[in-house]
Amino acid sequence: MSLGGLGRPALVAAFFLMALAVGFSLWGALRRKNAAAEAGRRALTAGAGFVGVAGLALVSALFAHDFSLEYVTNYSSRALSRGYTMAALWGGMEGSLLFWTVLLTLFAALALRRPGGTTSMRGWATVVLSGISLFFLLLLLFPANPFRVLADVPADGNGLNPLLQSPGMLIHPPLLYTGFVAFSVPFAFGMAALATKRLDGNWLKQTRRWTLFAWSALSIGIVLGGAWAYTELGWGGYWAWDPVENASFMPWLTATAYLHSVVIQEKRGMFKVWNLSLILATYVLAVFGTFLTRSGILSSIHTFTEGPIGRWFLPFLAAMLIGGLAMIASRLDALKSKNSFDSLLSRESAFLANNVLFLAAAFAVLWGTIYPILMEAVSGVRVAVGPPFFNSVFIPIGLALIGLTGLGPLIAWRRMNKKAFFRMVRVPLIAGAVAVVAPAAAGVRSTGALIAFALCAFTFTAIIGEFVRGSRVHRSREQLGWASALGRALMRNRRRYGGYVVHLGVVLIVLGFAGSAFRVERSAHLAQGQAMQVGDYTLRYERLTRGDTPEKQIFQANISASRGGEVVETLEPQRNLHKVQQQFQSEVAIATGPVEDLYVVVTAIDPDGAASVRAFVNPLTWWIWMGAALMAVGMSVLLSERPARPAPAPAPAPVRRPAVAAR
Amino acid sequence: MQPAPASADPKRRAKFWIGGGVILLSLVALVGWAMGRPNSTSFFYTPSEIVELPATAGSEEYRVNGKVVPDTVQRDGLRTSFDISDGATALAVTTEQPLPDAFWTAMANGSSEVEVVARGRYDGAAFQASEVLAKCPSKFKAKAA
Repeated sequence: MSLGGLGRPALVAAFFLMALAVGFSLWGALRRKNAAAEAGRRALTAGAGFVGVAGLALVSALFAHDFSLEYVTNYSSRALSRGYTMAALWGGMEGSLLFWTVLLTLFAALALRRPGGTTSMRGWATVVLSGISLFFLLLLLFPANPFRVLADVPADGNGLNPLLQSPGMLIHPPLLYTGFVAFSVPFAFGMAALATKRLDGNWLKQTRRWTLFAWSALSIGIVLGGAWAYTELGWGGYWAWDPVENASFMPWLTATAYLHSVVIQEKRGMFKVWNLSLILATYVLAVFGTFLTRSGILSSIHTFTEGPIGRWFLPFLAAMLIGGLAMIASRLDALKSKNSFDSLLSRESAFLANNVLFLAAAFAVLWGTIYPILMEAVSGVRVAVGPPFFNSVFIPIGLALIGLTGLGPLIAWRRMNKKAFFRMVRVPLIAGAVAVVAPAAAGVRSTGALIAFALCAFTFTAIIGEFVRGSRVHRSREQLGWASALGRALMRNRRRYGGYVVHLGVVLIVLGFAGSAFRVERSAHLAQGQAMQVGDYTLRYERLTRGDTPEKQIFQANISASRGGEVVETLEPQRNLHKVQQQFQSEVAIATGPVEDLYVVVTAIDPDGAASVRAFVNPLTWWIWMGAALMAVGMSVLLSERPARPAPAPAPAPVRRPAVAAR
Repeated sequence: MQPAPASADPKRRAKFWIGGGVILLSLVALVGWAMGRPNSTSFFYTPSEIVELPATAGSEEYRVNGKVVPDTVQRDGLRTSFDISDGATALAVTTEQPLPDAFWTAMANGSSEVEVVARGRYDGAAFQASEVLAKCPSKFKAKAA
């Protein structure tokens, strides 16, 4: 039985509860009334419960094939498998916004689960979180109602777009949303810190795990999106700089900057305004991304104001941005740094450089994404910004960042004498030089790739050096073997070494990106039995195999790949016709490995069986996924750290964590 | 809270502003340089606008968007040709690149509402596309509803 009928009443109830939460918590915070603040917090929790009911109602309607709901009809069908029926929850605009709101209110309730008095930041955080929730509930009640009822109930639904029917689509969107939405918590606490003038590092500590969690989810979500594009879309790449991708990448860039600059505030009491601005930027960009992907602005720059959602989002975005900036400006006096830079060669300046580079990247991506909109608004000329722009700006910035990833941890806090510095960088520099000379001698001529190899080798060696030094301390002090000493170091200072593991993952990913400089692409129209050449491989189209399942008609090309006269792979790309949607869908075949991927896709099939075959050799792409897996390991180490207890009173001085390796 | 003595040092402050200025300028320069790279940005035209362009300007890539005219789609091996229209003018488009699945799906279903964006060059007679993007039909459905 479908619970779809419960959805709308639950949303209405949640809306009123959330309105109460805003009212009570605001009253409590302004008048310092504990009882009112607590009432606000409880109203928010109850509201979250009702939003959860609405979410369950839509899921139940999807699984019960309740086609009286327009949303269920539009995005699911009886033939859809269970997993993809679940994916239909975020397959359409209304459902995805409901899912967003479910996560938002859930995270808000969790972050505020302990009662807090009005003098604490929790009161103001409740105001912010319930305010944001109220806006999304407004969207769900009016322009994006997922529970709209159809007058004529169809026998079956339209089904989910086959492109979205991929395992990646089951986890990619929820992870992205989780990432976007979880940034609400540090954002709300940052704003609360401004409102209460408790501007020490306390709010950072309280929200550290939320920040890490949000950032991890967003990172993995973005990589999975790339993996989905690579394995499903059939153009041989994983990142196209299209606005949807940029929408998720921009908040990731500012969030990564934030994640790093927070360290400075915690250790040295600097960068306070900067941190608040970064979390504001991250959250505004996350909401902007949500808006961008739903406004219709994407498919054509002309539909900007036509989408029903755009008109609602823009004032909300403007209010957040202006409100946030005004809050920061009004507290500028209290935000003065306790310390300043001592020396140019210091960890602080390395962090500053990191931040500048990440922000520059975010700005460049934002510029490229909104330039067409600006141009059309200002001059009426329609332009498009393509991948060459993004690659040109991003590759230099990215390379500088990867070098800095290795350099930063080698530099001491405050100041460092040059001799000590050169001693630290000697081995990594040699590794970097080898990584240029060896491939250059082997005939590699791409300057960009050689620079990337050098920097990857430099940073990789530098990080390994950190691990070696860290475990050496435990080895000599506690008489441990290398492996257990390494484990001890990792577990004792998870924040530091977990971060290094993430960095190692990033190095591998950059290595994978560098491989795209050597990518080879060929297309050919082949009759059965004919062959084509791509890179070192000869691809022979042996025959076409036809098949039929209840869901789709299958056309499978059997292709053998040989190198030096020897068959090394057989590939079976398909081109299928999905029956419900009457939609063609190519299924890519990839023979993957650490050296290179052989990637084959059939783009058209003639009635006589001749096929258009598009083939790629993608060197080193495999390392991107491995690097992402390693990043995930590092993130788990970081997240496994016990949360810091919030200090009862404003901490007088930044607490220094005990460093394993004393410098 | 006591302002740090160092930040009051005018020399340091000057250094900070100069450093910040240099960074900002380099970013602007980088973005400017990237915008000028070949095919970083391309003008977006309608079929009516593009047929007015001189064919000699063919070295630059443009984008053109319009609805595919039904029954004009022909494929021979890798080469596909079809007409797109903005309601006033029809423009012949040819491409050697594979077309998106959404395009063929819409064609097989006899849809007359397929909008494409083609990137490429206009040679005075036809638009030679190096890339063709099609709007996803499911998005239309959701939008029309």
